[in-house]
Amino acid sequence: MAGNKGRGRAAYTFNIEAVGFSRGEKLPDVVLKPPPLFPDTDYKPVPLKTGEGEDYMLALKQELRETMKRMPYYIETPEEKQDIERYSKRYMKVYKEEWIPDWRRLPREMMPRKKCKKAGPKSEKAKDTSKGVSLTNTADVLKKIEELEKRGDGEKSDEENEEKEGGKEKSKEGDEEDDDDAAEQEEYDEEEQEEENDYINSYFEDGDDFGADSDDNMDEATY
Amino acid sequence: MTQAEIKLCSLLLQEHFGEIVEKIGVHLIRTGSQPLRVIAHDTGTSLDQVKKALCVLIQHNLVMYQVHKRGVVEYEAQCSRVLRMLRYPRYIYTAKTLYSDTGELIVEELLLNGKMTMSAVVKKVADRLTETMEDGKTMDYAEVSNTFVRLADTHFVQRCPWVPATENSDPGPPPPAPILVISEKDMYLVPKLSLIGKGKRRRSSDEDAAGEPKAKRPKHSTDNKEPIPDDGIYWQANLDRFHQHFRDQAIVSAVANRMDQFTFQTQTSSEIVRTMLRMSEITTPSAAPFTQPLSSNEIFRSLPVGYNISKQVLDQYLTLLADDPLEFVGKSGDSGGGMYVINLHKALGSLATATLESVVQERFGSRCARIFRLVLQKKHLEQKQVEDFAMIPAKEAKDMLYKMLSGNFISLQEIPKTPDHAPSRTFYLYTVNILSAARMLLHRCYKSIANLIERRQFETKENKRLLEKSQRVEAIIASMQATGAEEAQLQEIEEMITAPERQQLETLKRNVNKLDASEIQVDETIFLLESYIESTMKRQ
Repeated sequence: MAGNKGRGRAAYTFNIEAVGFSRGEKLPDVVLKPPPLFPDTDYKPVPLKTGEGEDYMLALKQELRETMKRMPYYIETPEEKQDIERYSKRYMKVYKEEWIPDWRRLPREMMPRKKCKKAGPKSEKAKDTSKGVSLTNTADVLKKIEELEKRGDGEKSDEENEEKEGGKEKSKEGDEEDDDDAAEQEEYDEEEQEEENDYINSYFEDGDDFGADSDDNMDEATY
Repeated sequence: MTQAEIKLCSLLLQEHFGEIVEKIGVHLIRTGSQPLRVIAHDTGTSLDQVKKALCVLIQHNLVMYQVHKRGVVEYEAQCSRVLRMLRYPRYIYTAKTLYSDTGELIVEELLLNGKMTMSAVVKKVADRLTETMEDGKTMDYAEVSNTFVRLADTHFVQRCPWVPATENSDPGPPPPAPILVISEKDMYLVPKLSLIGKGKRRRSSDEDAAGEPKAKRPKHSTDNKEPIPDDGIYWQANLDRFHQHFRDQAIVSAVANRMDQFTFQTQTSSEIVRTMLRMSEITTPSAAPFTQPLSSNEIFRSLPVGYNISKQVLDQYLTLLADDPLEFVGKSGDSGGGMYVINLHKALGSLATATLESVVQERFGSRCARIFRLVLQKKHLEQKQVEDFAMIPAKEAKDMLYKMLSGNFISLQEIPKTPDHAPSRTFYLYTVNILSAARMLLHRCYKSIANLIERRQFETKENKRLLEKSQRVEAIIASMQATGAEEAQLQEIEEMITAPERQQLETLKRNVNKLDASEIQVDETIFLLESYIESTMKRQ
């Protein structure tokens, strides 16, 4: 192109004078790294405001910080065990009040589950029988288990079982949405079903662990 | 939400509510509205803990929930509300200046607990005040109630939306989450309660019980079992009203700074403006650009009792204020002796601009500030014109302009002469876009506060061992004093902390105080800038 003065020679597309550099090649170096983290400033900052109001707010701020840590809303993370038992720990225990939110204002799924998680499958079945609606469901489960027992096919029956239980769970969700206990039982059931599956899994599993897991055959050695 | 805001929210939540709540809160701020299970899955926390954290966040009005189709409840965090936690000391101090200790404690309890019923607030505040009073004196519930009613009347506290009491006409399933409603007229309605009683000291409760008639005594001891008269009616602090008050304060002090230094009578113009603002407190919505027009007669009647200025003097002041180039006060008509309004939007704009000017001056020097003010005034200037008007040599002027340009205080406006935008044939004009400069500065403020908090936490952590040691020593001394120890023994225990360690503790305390005070002051700037940006966005 006619504009090139020569190879490698920089040619500006604009009037360099306008930017402030004369035609000489006194351009500043290209900066190849980010600016420093703590640059020196030419002008030092103005001192902070002082006064009665500011002092009071400062004291308030620090007090609030301490108070918030003692409120029931501050959820502590479980600490690792301290290596040395400190004498003063006895005197620094903070007694936190229990806070119970107003459940009427919160979504129903916020309520903690009333029943404990690790209840065995037997107790769950017992609970099931106490509810009218789920009686039929439980009866279905028992019937299907009997059918599958007769079939004697371990793996396949497990999957079918899981599907059926999953399906039943969904139907349970559909029917019993309005029941508070059932709402808890939904989530409860989901985790619980897995345990039930495990129980049944081990019952139907082929070969390997059958003998070892079952309680009855503890004494006999497997060869 | 910008990264700086998210970082600041994370630090605030962690300081106030702990790490679990912080994790959930920050996740919600980052990802927006989500249902419960997704939150648990994405953050890797157990369902139980997510529920606890959400309960805390909802209680403090930091997270809202909404029922979507198919009954799924989604939770959304309010980032701007989280940032308000920085301002709690200012709210509480304002309540103290307006309604003294009782008001201060009421607002403090409401802020610390998110929402409370009136009876709970009154009881707690009465107990706290009784603690500070001399022996034998107690705080009456009635006095606390009165202050509460006054706070509600002036809209500093408001009712939370509540579940409407529906009759069970439809036997369908209840919704997965209650729908909370509130109507404008009910927001400040105080329920008719007869709260009778006095505050209780923690130790001398027997003393109090003896002084009260027998009929009222059971109320104290069994108030856990009795139904609360205003159950379900929760109150929260109305932050918008506090913001309105801060804004009024800022305007009044701006007028005082500008006008009152030249008058013999102290603070007349600012007093007039303050009166006008007070008269418009409840009538004008907080987001309005102008207050309602007030006639000069009305203002004259509403001036504080101590002020003995004549009507003509008042009119002169009003004319002076209306003619001032700052345009805080405007004249909107001539009836009633002249109708005057306060230009809230313009006032906020002037305050934001003054903040920007001040920042430029402190960061780049007064000559830069001169150039900045020049460009502000003339709106658009070419390089050559800047040098001429500011009377600063060309090289220095260029240097300063580029420094401000790279700091994003000033921007360039291109005006091409030819359609191909050739640089040699284009005008480049320097201009100040106040809105974008304000946003840039606001973002910087968030970063600053995040840095301040981190530094404070770092300093505290560095000296953790020493702090713990001093706490232990204090605990030992306290227990020894309780069991009655000699002076010599106490002295010995105190010497467990050596002199250089005391020095270190002193330095730490001073640094932490400085960092805390800086946070409070940066928050004031944040308030001004946010108010201006909000006011501008509402007008667009």
